[in-house]
Amino acid sequence: MLAVLTVATFVLFVVLRQTSSFSFSSFIPYQDMISEAILNTIIVSVLSLFGSLIIGFIFYLFSISKMKYLNALTDVFTEIIYGTPLLVLIVITAFVIGPAFGTYNRNALGFTALVIYMAPYMKNVYKSAFSSISRDQYMTMDLFGFTPFQRYRYIIIPQVIRILMPPMMNNFSMIIKGSALLNVLSFNELYYAIRVAQSQTFAFVPGYILMWLLYLAITIPLSQVTKYVERTWSL
Amino acid sequence: MKINLKNINHTYDVEVLHELNLTLENYKSIAIIGVSGSGKSTLIRLMAGLETPSSGEININGHDVKEEDYKKKIGFVFQNHNLFPHLTLKRNITLVLEKTRGMDPLLANETALKYLNLLHLGDQVDKLPKNVSGGQAQRASIARALSVNPDIIFLDEPTSSLDPILTHEVLSAVEELKGLGKDFIFVTHVMSFVRDFADYVIFMDQGEIIEQGLPEILDHPKHPAFKEFMKKVR
Repeated sequence: MLAVLTVATFVLFVVLRQTSSFSFSSFIPYQDMISEAILNTIIVSVLSLFGSLIIGFIFYLFSISKMKYLNALTDVFTEIIYGTPLLVLIVITAFVIGPAFGTYNRNALGFTALVIYMAPYMKNVYKSAFSSISRDQYMTMDLFGFTPFQRYRYIIIPQVIRILMPPMMNNFSMIIKGSALLNVLSFNELYYAIRVAQSQTFAFVPGYILMWLLYLAITIPLSQVTKYVERTWSL
Repeated sequence: MKINLKNINHTYDVEVLHELNLTLENYKSIAIIGVSGSGKSTLIRLMAGLETPSSGEININGHDVKEEDYKKKIGFVFQNHNLFPHLTLKRNITLVLEKTRGMDPLLANETALKYLNLLHLGDQVDKLPKNVSGGQAQRASIARALSVNPDIIFLDEPTSSLDPILTHEVLSAVEELKGLGKDFIFVTHVMSFVRDFADYVIFMDQGEIIEQGLPEILDHPKHPAFKEFMKKVR
């Protein structure tokens, strides 16, 4: 509570010290476009989350495979992604890799770039979740004679889901913020919509403040859900 | 129970067991003692078939411990309770009974309650392991081991992570199980428990069996390492 008050005091101080007044009223005519953009941001983020969960899991399987080629492939992929800014990846995917495969759908390619970018992070989430199941637990499963299916269905997966939920939610928050970079492909997400409105209203700073508040309106509830999940699902 | 170990060697990165041979018959409760790193836990895990020795043969009650059927006849309690953390104490037992023993859910529930009550956990059955004390979790683990109706129960230092009060709580609960007619093989550092519960004692040092015999050997150790050990734990 004290922390919230501290931040609120800081914000109030900054607001009171402004010499010019900020009004969001010039954005009212654009509310439909902005609403649609918020929805698009959420949709593309949710789809990217699921996509990266799937691709991340495949790379996790590659990383634990006995085939050295698959381990090496995962390492190379991870290194490249870790060293690549998301903006660069989006542009390269949309204008270089996509066309090489005969695809020019920029929205789909932008979404693909987000998925690819998040996949190594998701792979790490899986890795830490699966490694948290102790060797002794596997021994116990072995001792009682659980079949491989039963192990995963009743023991491993339920634990892994609980463990990976909080970091997965954090990654989801990263995806939401990262989706702002899809504006370079003219995809109508939140950042893009506000930029379009700014270019017509010339309300540059209020536009960014509005954008900031709208992103916080999405990410703060999400982080609260994450904390709730952490509290109630912890093992 | 009948135990027959023949030329057991076991190596991880270094050799942990060296040429163990042991033949025992008609003992109901066997204690394995020794300093940390002497190979006790490795030996008990090999005897339970949880690990395979690098070389040698282990035969218990006429079964090669590598046989899949053998595992159905034993219960094992680990140093840490090893309950599945996402399941309640009761579900930890019913899951095992339903899925691996094909028991009807109602009967599994009844069986779980029977053993949890036996271990004085009747009022904790619906709690998750994280919400009970270490001693209660360890007792639930013993209840789970018992629930599959094993012939032999292995206990690998079941109180190593517990404070003296919880240690007493768990070991008292184990002593109460004597009347069940099960055989026990256990590793512990609690000598009072060994004296009260064991009818045969094996002392190990540096991967070898140094001394063995009736619990009276605790009072008259011969080997210097055993003497030294007894001085420290007395």
